[in-house]
Amino acid sequence: MNRLIALVRREFWENKGALRTTPLVIGGIYIAFLLMGLFTTAHFDNEMYTFREAIRLLASQPEELRAAHGYEVLLGSSLLFTVVLAFVVFFYLLGALYDDRKDRSILFWKSLPASDTLTIASKLITAMVLAPLIFWAVFILTQILMAIIASLMVLSVGENPWTLFLSVVNPFKAWAMVLASYLAASIWFLPLHGWLLLVSAFAPRIPLLFAVLPPVIFAILQIWITFLKTFTLNTSLFGLIGDWIANSPAILFVDMHDGQGGLSLGISLTGDFDHAVTLTNMLDRLFSVQMLSGLVVAAVFLAGALWLRHRATES
Amino acid sequence: MTPIISARGLTKRYGRTTAVDHIDLEIPPGKIVGLIGPNGAGKTSALKAILGLATFEGDLSVLGKNPSRDRASLMEDVCFIADVAVLPRWARVWQLIDVTEKLHSGFSRETCMEYLSQTKITQDHKVKQLSKGMVAQLHLALVMAIDAKLLVLDEPTLGLDILYRKQFYSSLLNDYFDEERTILITTHQVEEVEHILTDLVFIQDGKIALESSMEEVERRYLELMVRPEQAERARSLNPLYERELFGRHIFLYDSVDREQLSGLGEIHTPSVADLFVATMKGGQS
Repeated sequence: MNRLIALVRREFWENKGALRTTPLVIGGIYIAFLLMGLFTTAHFDNEMYTFREAIRLLASQPEELRAAHGYEVLLGSSLLFTVVLAFVVFFYLLGALYDDRKDRSILFWKSLPASDTLTIASKLITAMVLAPLIFWAVFILTQILMAIIASLMVLSVGENPWTLFLSVVNPFKAWAMVLASYLAASIWFLPLHGWLLLVSAFAPRIPLLFAVLPPVIFAILQIWITFLKTFTLNTSLFGLIGDWIANSPAILFVDMHDGQGGLSLGISLTGDFDHAVTLTNMLDRLFSVQMLSGLVVAAVFLAGALWLRHRATES
Repeated sequence: MTPIISARGLTKRYGRTTAVDHIDLEIPPGKIVGLIGPNGAGKTSALKAILGLATFEGDLSVLGKNPSRDRASLMEDVCFIADVAVLPRWARVWQLIDVTEKLHSGFSRETCMEYLSQTKITQDHKVKQLSKGMVAQLHLALVMAIDAKLLVLDEPTLGLDILYRKQFYSSLLNDYFDEERTILITTHQVEEVEHILTDLVFIQDGKIALESSMEEVERRYLELMVRPEQAERARSLNPLYERELFGRHIFLYDSVDREQLSGLGEIHTPSVADLFVATMKGGQS
């Protein structure tokens, strides 16, 4: 266990830029936009008349409505974090078993008593747990800062931020929901993680090419052959990957649930799952047949990555 | 005494080429063994098999373990420096010390710091800021702070200047080596290591051309320097190898009577480099 922690720390050190600086930059962007918005308003309306009226209008809304809207705003501001997190994890895994082969430092790592299995486990944990946790923590920090700035603004126009939104909106539920969706999506995308590690362990150069080209070529051939056979453009690997993203337990989209607009899990393209942002719906996906088949595929990819890692120093 | 390394019929093939060809080798503890051979003779392939970095055929046991299967647990007791340039360039010195300490139960931070205090390396340095020689010093400090039974060095001083090379081998010999430990070195620079070796293994075309202790080398091999007029007589005594230097003929003999030669010219113990050349040339003819 201590060795695993030591290896995960090493991953953090090597990827500090992607894992720590990136979410901080996104948080900075949110704060910067908020401040820019405020300065713009103040610039054109130095009495802050419209702002005051808007706050009054908001304050006159029923409490349940304010609570619901506030909750959606909190969830919605995770979107940029989520999308960037996906990119960070993608490129982290592509390099995870490639970079040290390229610069030959694999010979140093292999001189330490850590098995290949433990090494690959540390990379998976970094991608599936550490990266989401850091992004989540910075996301919360950003929201607290934004709440403070917003409260000061509300105070400055003579309204009470406590009764307006601080005591009304429950941030903990939104934060817990974002964390749960991050961890659920980590598991849901295990086949993709496995594929990226496999490519990372295999690619002689440019892992991105090896990660993207084979599935694209495969899918195009698949579409072409089905087209020749049935004269239709039916399911292909593209469709499968698309469905996989659409069915994922990540908060990705805005949709209608029970007659109300709000954020949704994945995108409701297929009728396989309910897309409302609830823990039950996340668990539904994790205990589905799709997930089971995904785990089998992931296991094959990871076994391949392990096999290749064992032989990485052959020549 | 149980051997540190024991190989029987060790073979490594890459497709059709056989890099290591049925090698039998036994290395007892407390030795400094030089594994010496020309480029492409199979040195690195043999070392990779010993370190669990490559698969192999035949029987190979290092500290009683199968290196290919049990690399991780073997590395508790084995250290290696494969090449000077393999420390990760992004890492800071303290990070490398930290991760080595966490992974290696036999690592002593104090010893490592002591070695580092003799250099210009600080804990906050990044590997990419260090010169090649400093990277080698850092790697050696990390490795010498590990209480290992076997240390394997594959061309450890490649690309280093003479000052670093001298210092490298003197710290290795004075601060690290004792009768419990075994060191296995491959290098091209035979002259630098010949005074520290206890045993020699010459390898040629994947086979062992010579395996001997240094004492045996001194007992068995003689070099005779004669004037041209004595050359014919010297040649008739069955030398391993003959060369010419400044008009003198130099002959290298294996197990020959010292008395027989003494009248012909000057007798020396050959250097490892000369013995190496003689063995390699002899093996080819």
